[in-house]
Amino acid sequence: MKGWILPKNSLSYWLRQLRKDSDLIGPLRTPDGDIVFESVEKIHEIVLDPPASLPSVKEFFLPQYETVFVFKTDTVRPIQEKRKRVIFGLRSCDVAALRLLDRFFLDSQPDPYYSERRKNTLLISVVCNRPDPTCFCVGIGAGPYLKEGFDIQLTDLGDRYMVEIGSPRGRRAVREYSFVFQRPRKTDLEDQFEVQLSSTARFQQRINLEGVRSLILSQRVDEGFWQEVANRCIQCGGCVYVCPLCSCFTVTDRVYQEHIERVRLWDACLFKGFTRLAGGILPNDAPVSRTKRWFYHKLIYYPEGIGGFGCVGCGRCAVVCPSKIDMATVVLNIKRVSENAVSG
Amino acid sequence: MRSVVNIYTPLKGKIEEARELCPDVKLYRVRVPKEVHYYPGQFFMLSLWGYGEVPISVCSLDDTQTLEFTVRKAGFVTSAIHQLQAGDTIWLRGPYGRRFPLEMSYHRDVVVVAGGIGLAPLRAVIQYLLKERRKVKRVTLLYGSRTPDGLLYREEYDTWRASDVKVVLTVDCPSDGWRGNVGVVTTLWHQVEGELREAVAYVCGPPVMIKAALTDLFLLGMPADRIVTTLEAHMKCGVGKCGHCYNDGRFICTDGPVFTYKEIKEWDLTL
Amino acid sequence: MKKVPTVCPYCGCGCGLFLHVEGGRVIGVSPNRNHPVNQGSLCVKGWNCHEFIHHPDRLKTPLIRKNGKLIESSWQEALQYVAKRLSETISRYGPDSVGVLSSAKCTNEENYLLMKFTRAVLGTNNIDHCARLCHSSTVGGLAAAFGSGAMTNSISEIKDARVLFVIGSNTTEQHPMIAMHMLEAVDRGATLIVADPRRTKIADFATIYLQHRSGTDVALLMGIMHVILAEHLVDRDFVMRRTENFHAFEESLREFTPERVEKLTGVKASDIRKVARVYATEKRSMLFYAMGITQHITGVDNVKALANLVMLTGHIGLPCSGINPLRGQNNVQGACDMGALPNVYTGYQKVTDPKARRKFERAWKRRLPERAGLTVVEMTEAALEGRLKAMYIMGENPLLSDPDLNRVREAMEKLEFLVVQDIFLSETAEFADVVLPAATFAEKNGTFTNTERRVQLIRRAVLPPGGAMPDWKIITGLSSLMGYPMQYRDTYEVMEEIALLTPSYGGILHYRLDNGFGLQWPCPDRDHPGTPYLHRKKFARGLGTFLPVQFRMPAELPDEEFPFVLNTGRTGVHYHTGTMCRRTTVLEREEPEPFVEINPRDAEKLEIREGQRVRVSSRRGSIVLRARLRDNTSEGVVFIPFHFREAAANLLTNPALDPEVKIPEYKVCAVRVEPLEVVKRPKRPRRVDIEELRIT
Ligand SMILES: Cc1cc2nc3c(=O)[nH]c(=O)nc-3n(C[C@H](O)[C@H](O)[C@H](O)COP(=O)(O)OP(=O)(O)OC[C@H]3O[C@@H](n4cnc5c(N)ncnc54)[C@H](O)[C@@H]3O)c2cc1C
Ligand code: SF4
Ligand code: SF4
Ligand code: SF4
Repeated sequence: MKGWILPKNSLSYWLRQLRKDSDLIGPLRTPDGDIVFESVEKIHEIVLDPPASLPSVKEFFLPQYETVFVFKTDTVRPIQEKRKRVIFGLRSCDVAALRLLDRFFLDSQPDPYYSERRKNTLLISVVCNRPDPTCFCVGIGAGPYLKEGFDIQLTDLGDRYMVEIGSPRGRRAVREYSFVFQRPRKTDLEDQFEVQLSSTARFQQRINLEGVRSLILSQRVDEGFWQEVANRCIQCGGCVYVCPLCSCFTVTDRVYQEHIERVRLWDACLFKGFTRLAGGILPNDAPVSRTKRWFYHKLIYYPEGIGGFGCVGCGRCAVVCPSKIDMATVVLNIKRVSENAVSG
Repeated sequence: MRSVVNIYTPLKGKIEEARELCPDVKLYRVRVPKEVHYYPGQFFMLSLWGYGEVPISVCSLDDTQTLEFTVRKAGFVTSAIHQLQAGDTIWLRGPYGRRFPLEMSYHRDVVVVAGGIGLAPLRAVIQYLLKERRKVKRVTLLYGSRTPDGLLYREEYDTWRASDVKVVLTVDCPSDGWRGNVGVVTTLWHQVEGELREAVAYVCGPPVMIKAALTDLFLLGMPADRIVTTLEAHMKCGVGKCGHCYNDGRFICTDGPVFTYKEIKEWDLTL
Repeated sequence: MKKVPTVCPYCGCGCGLFLHVEGGRVIGVSPNRNHPVNQGSLCVKGWNCHEFIHHPDRLKTPLIRKNGKLIESSWQEALQYVAKRLSETISRYGPDSVGVLSSAKCTNEENYLLMKFTRAVLGTNNIDHCARLCHSSTVGGLAAAFGSGAMTNSISEIKDARVLFVIGSNTTEQHPMIAMHMLEAVDRGATLIVADPRRTKIADFATIYLQHRSGTDVALLMGIMHVILAEHLVDRDFVMRRTENFHAFEESLREFTPERVEKLTGVKASDIRKVARVYATEKRSMLFYAMGITQHITGVDNVKALANLVMLTGHIGLPCSGINPLRGQNNVQGACDMGALPNVYTGYQKVTDPKARRKFERAWKRRLPERAGLTVVEMTEAALEGRLKAMYIMGENPLLSDPDLNRVREAMEKLEFLVVQDIFLSETAEFADVVLPAATFAEKNGTFTNTERRVQLIRRAVLPPGGAMPDWKIITGLSSLMGYPMQYRDTYEVMEEIALLTPSYGGILHYRLDNGFGLQWPCPDRDHPGTPYLHRKKFARGLGTFLPVQFRMPAELPDEEFPFVLNTGRTGVHYHTGTMCRRTTVLEREEPEPFVEINPRDAEKLEIREGQRVRVSSRRGSIVLRARLRDNTSEGVVFIPFHFREAAANLLTNPALDPEVKIPEYKVCAVRVEPLEVVKRPKRPRRVDIEELRIT
């Protein structure tokens, strides 16, 4: 897997070709200066070094609101999205997250909706050369660049991209337009390596989840600590909604005049009603049990069940949490508290 | 990645019989269009369009085209189910979840401990034990309900007794003619004949009851891996995807709902 | 997938968010990272505000009541019928026989048009909206003291403040994003003082928490000011140069020694002293309040007392220093600014002022009524007395939100004609003769003004379902049928008219709002950048006036028969009467049923258990709901949220009014609590001792 070179001049041509049978999603600037991932009309408006998308790439595979069945006069019709998509400008953390989500959604009892979307989507990720202040994928191995697991990974080398292919789907998207790609020269590879080094050096925080996992497992984090964290939480659900690795949903039926829709929606374990039992019993009435559930799931159980942390260090929870109790902050606090405990 | 079958599509079943067992509890016999193989402890997602889906344990045995469910009116969906009558359509998908480890009971005494609607999945267990009656030793059912009216499957006790099952009943609030025990099931351990240490227990009921029964049985010397229960949780999918039933690293729907007490302790599940 | 930048439709924070649109449907939302209020966060309501938009219950066609039933009809038929009935009512009983309720959920443009319709077409000043029920005391009190009744500072200033004094506001649940800024200030070392009879979440972060008795706010504030005066902490220079009437006011404080105030309020004298010292000596002190201050018969007095406090200490007219009423609804500020009030036109220009009236008469080419109109609660009275014959209600639900619902219902029944314009068939709409289906925030263009006076653009993301129409189009259509054509291409043309007639909105035009995050009024001309904080250098009215107030007890105090004080309010997941959020899966699941919060010690005395059903009754009505035992309400007080139609808290509340601005006393009335269905626990036999049975 040596890769290819794509001159930046040719990018829009290539994307335009890919768009012929797909919806092209990419980062665009909004009137007020934020950057969001949406359908691209004018390819030249794509922002080439966007911040992490908000919410995460999850929205394209497990949508916030999705009709899954339509029921009409005694027949059931599953509604499956057949539309093809190309998502351009993703970050490595998103791709890494999808790999873990794949295991969750597809390994046993595959989820048909996720599976269909995954099958119909081509991911073109870009190696981060400008991590956000909240990013910490580098300590988890989920970025800033990936060695595998992507469809197509681009590295910005100034006037051209290094193009790496990681899947048959990716190979097809390049091979069909091979005339716009060139063979890389040795200097291209050197440049690529330099970008990898420099982007790794740009991170403002290094976070060791493994260390914190063992602190928790060895009972070095007391209930009081979690109590304090939970006390700040206003149960907005934001952290769960934006996290590319939080995948809980709820299902509800909507009765229209002529038909019924079964709908699935994002849900969050931070809500007390999330685990409500019939008769109004609330197993997780205490906020602390829910806060712990979230962190434990990501730090303890995800690695056991899925084989990787339930966090790729994308830093999105730090952007959305109004109470500043995101993954990075809490993990750093655990470290600090336990170090103080040791030294004190 | 190939297209996959839609695991959420329910099957259309027909209600053959809807019988009121006691106020707020009905037994449904449902006929399905194709063979379904299921075992005691497993559950189905019963589905009513316009209302939603609820996990309900299967409470019958063997017959692959008619299944029985006992449904307590507990809220939105179950109330809607209670409106249904024989001849109506009900949708379902399953079976889901682990089954009761019943081979474990061979050549041993068995204690079945139930509270309220918790007898539903255990009815299938009892039916199984009756079928394999010769393989198991003494069978005791300890069953508690809030009121005598709330006792389920009353007309079946005689059949059970006839097969040498000791049926011990207790209620919280006795009515006038009540001659059985009064109090919670966990006051009935002395009714079990033989050594609990050597026996197997199958337990189901409201959370407080389960908690009390498990610890009692354990303290009474029964090994934790022979105390078996089934846990309830909020469930939307039944196949380990929606996350609602997630409990300390396990999904109740796919890793359970049947757990031994040993597993519960080992995995630190919250009861 | 398209992402349309717009503003959250729930609370007055006015968070910026994107609506995600695919295939003509809104399928999600995400926060705007750059927005000065929410900075990338949203509360749970905001995160879920996409769901109700396509709810099957949405009204899609106009309905006309025929033979007692609401029957679907065409727009033409419905509007013509409304026009005819309104005209008839006016010609038979005169214009003042019609009352109009505007809406704090609708855009500025729509409020303006309805206000214009009421005054120019119907010819009455009988227009009001729910601000009457939340912040009319603010408008009254602050306008008298400073000449302007809005939040003086910006939300983004909060994090730099040194002292935050929050009184009568459940900020964390009701203005979550403002609470976020407060929490950040606390993290940076600010002192947070919270005063509230009900201990809410914000109190968890407070340095000092005062739990005063319901309805004793004036006394508490007078006590604080007494200390400030006695300990010479008054900002003399500020008082001399920028205010008047100080001496009369000084007198009024004399009796309120901390010790006496302790007796009245239950707050320790030492705490009162501490708060006075902290608040007065730090600079960059911001004061916040909400319905806990305003919804009393002494609402205006409460507000005046707060105004006195900030003038006394000179904490106003600078960044991070001022008095900040937190406005509830997403556009309640705007609806007030637009003159959806019985006594003012846009920008608080008085209808009784001949100059202002002439200006509007010339612009609108109609004679306008001279006397101020009726307020919400007065309309109910007038209907009961048969003086009000018809009502036009846009996007409000008085049958759940107004005090003493039984009377409101009776009043509605007495009306000859009732028109309701709404997105769902609300409790009020069920009563109407004509129901007109309106568009949600996602289906129209316009502006909302948030609590910090920020006028922001909302943008159409999808088309309304079926035949539903944006409220502004309904109004213009109706107006044309009544012989007064209103022609606007879109709402930006309405805004231009508003700007022309409203000095404080003079420079606020849609094209200026397109980029960035809106403009904060006053914004007098097209080059003006907007005003982040008010009363710089001088007050809106020139000098600030100290307004002495008297301490009065609440209208209805607990007695033998009704021994509890009832406090009402909202929960964090629901909003007002719940028409939108109760149709949102996650929100409805969080709080699916009504409840009453009661102190565990009271509960014990009454033998009430957690979750048990109880009956709560007042002199006006009674409801049944479940008890929730919480020690954040003090003994003798119970709290009921008013979202639930199943057990409407406002069946109980007292319609006693503040004499000046007519706000009802939602926060205090006397009730009785009785347990229902006392389950007799049977005597359990002794649990068999495990040890006895243990196999050895
Ligand atoms: C494995 C298993 C086996 C079971 N077997 C049986 C059995 O054999 N017999 C039996 O009677 N019961 C059984 N139950 C319990 C049964 O599933 C519940 O009683 C049932 O789910 C109640 O559903 P409901 O809609 O009637 O109640 P509700 O209380 O209305 O709702 C049920 C669930 O949906 C949630 N919910 C409530 N309102 C909403 C809303 N508006 N939107 C979204 N979610 C909402 C609740 O939080 C609750 O978890 C079993 C449960 C499990 C887990
Ligand atoms: S926990 Fe936070 S940082 Fe980690 S993946 Fe989720 S959103 Fe990103
Ligand atoms: S984002 Fe923060 S405040 Fe919101 S639910 Fe998550 S942890 Fe709680
Ligand atoms: S704080 Fe208010 S404006 Fe912001 S998301 Fe929540 S309800 Fe909407």
